[in-house]
Amino acid sequence: MIWLTWRQHRLQAAYLLLGTLAVSAALFPIGRAMHSAFDNDGLAECLRTNGNPEFIRPAEGMGCGEFADLFMGRFGSLLPLGILLVLLPMLVGLFLGAPLVAREVEQGTHRLVWTQGVSRLRWATTKFGLITLFGLALAAGYAVLLTWWIEPLAAAAGSRLEWLVFDLQGVVPLAYTLFAIALGIAAGAVSRKLLPAMGITLAGFVVARVLVAWLGRPRYQEPIERRISVVTDRLPNELHGEWNLSSGVYDASGRQIVANGNRYCPPEALANDRAPGVCDPTTYNLEVYQPAGRFWTFQWIEAGIFAVLAAALLAFAVYRVRNRIS
Amino acid sequence: MSTALETRGLGKRYGRNWALRECSLAVPAGRVAGLVGPNGAGKTTLLHLAVGLLRPDAGSVRVLGDTPETGLPRIGFVAQDAPLYRDFHAADLITMGQKLNKRWDSGFARDRLTQLRIPLDRKVGKLSAGQRAQVALALALARKPDLLLLDEPVASLDPLARREFLQVLMGGVAEHGTTVLLSSHLVADLERVCDYLIVLNESRVQVLGGVEDLLATHKVLVGPRRADRAGPVAGVATVIRESHTDRQTSLLVRTHGPVLDPAWMARDLTLEDLVLAYLAEPSSGSLPGPDRLGIENGMEMTS
Repeated sequence: MIWLTWRQHRLQAAYLLLGTLAVSAALFPIGRAMHSAFDNDGLAECLRTNGNPEFIRPAEGMGCGEFADLFMGRFGSLLPLGILLVLLPMLVGLFLGAPLVAREVEQGTHRLVWTQGVSRLRWATTKFGLITLFGLALAAGYAVLLTWWIEPLAAAAGSRLEWLVFDLQGVVPLAYTLFAIALGIAAGAVSRKLLPAMGITLAGFVVARVLVAWLGRPRYQEPIERRISVVTDRLPNELHGEWNLSSGVYDASGRQIVANGNRYCPPEALANDRAPGVCDPTTYNLEVYQPAGRFWTFQWIEAGIFAVLAAALLAFAVYRVRNRIS
Repeated sequence: MSTALETRGLGKRYGRNWALRECSLAVPAGRVAGLVGPNGAGKTTLLHLAVGLLRPDAGSVRVLGDTPETGLPRIGFVAQDAPLYRDFHAADLITMGQKLNKRWDSGFARDRLTQLRIPLDRKVGKLSAGQRAQVALALALARKPDLLLLDEPVASLDPLARREFLQVLMGGVAEHGTTVLLSSHLVADLERVCDYLIVLNESRVQVLGGVEDLLATHKVLVGPRRADRAGPVAGVATVIRESHTDRQTSLLVRTHGPVLDPAWMARDLTLEDLVLAYLAEPSSGSLPGPDRLGIENGMEMTS
């Protein structure tokens, strides 16, 4: 079975490996440039000096925002590239997962291979297992590279928990890849045709990822709230790493005055009273956020969700192969 | 063991439609059985049930004494259109067979393909349909099966390749006394090679028996014109088809003894005529061949 799996899939595997190497070769120099800029153009130095605290006093020149803006001005345009990069695991599902059962049935060769001296269960477990392992190995390389690559961008953009930044590093890329492969295999075992299987994989991957990221991720742990008076000279440090879920301005009775925004007045503005009513010291900013320290908890929770989904899909595919395809 | 394949009340349903129903039959070991029937009669369904690709919705099927399951040794199968991995070389397919089967004879497969002048180092997708069918057959035979099932193996072949394929098949199975079940919608293909016949029609077994017995007990009687469905003729069990001209009546009958009435002249018929007569009369079930014969046969075989 191992020989057969290798013989059947070596071309696909070679193409995927080449594709991964090509993407890596393109990303690597950019990553070097980003790391070098981050380390040498003042941002790293600034963060080291001020210790990157939760609150900063801009009046005392504590913030590193200028350096971060400088960095983002140079590399921020790379963030949309993340949208392409988060889709790479899906490609593995499309090209390794979807054809696994679908092409076999489409060409009728399942009737050749299943009537040799190997049971369908063994055929399915060996093939699914080996292909999944190969996909995971690719994903591991991809995850290591991207975790390194995105690090300075994440630091300058503010939080590792932010959309796209979270999705490209740590352990979740492996889980996404596992899920994409399992989805492709299961889709092929249901549709028995390659093109519909690829369509289901594409749609299913995007829908599952968007649903989990939008509805699940902000709620993995109860978010934290902090109230900050409108009149203050201590502002939240945007580089401290919080993932802001919402922010607004409320008056003393708890009524919302400003949605999706903040208002800060330095104490001297209150003294001058240039804008009566705007800088009412009883009003406060309410921020709801996930703290930076939860990054790995969130990584494992999200990876777990997709790993469980993948396991269910693989079990379903094995069932289909054993009982529903002839 | 005298029965290679046996089914009892076997049925398979797709949604509401029965592809095969109340199928009871037995193929004695050592026979070369032909499975005939029009397209959609349930031939492929029966074969897939027999190799374990499908599971029955009713009744039971046993092959070589076992309940079929994919991965069984001793059973060879060539599916319709002889599916092969098209980007594999024939040599790769032989290696595959060796990796996937405990009982396997690579040398046999290689020799056979060499004898047939089929290149081992060319992608099988580039071989002709006849050559691909031969490769599929060689792979099935290399498993040294006790029972070999072939689904329409010659349907896509030209007459010459067809004859060559059947010759190779008969040569291959003769060496081991392999039981063969071979489906086709063309009787002419089977007439040359089969000594046992199963006719499937409209999802049911219609005729079952040894070819010699069937030919010996079926006759065409020609005699003077008589009224349609007139009284019985001595020695005739059933009239399957009756046709009249102005002066003559001819009956296709199953006999249960010699027809001695001098008014009738008995003539032998070909297997093809016999099959076509039955296929044209699906309702001739109450008469000779179908279910009753199947059950009798089955009991005989298992006793």
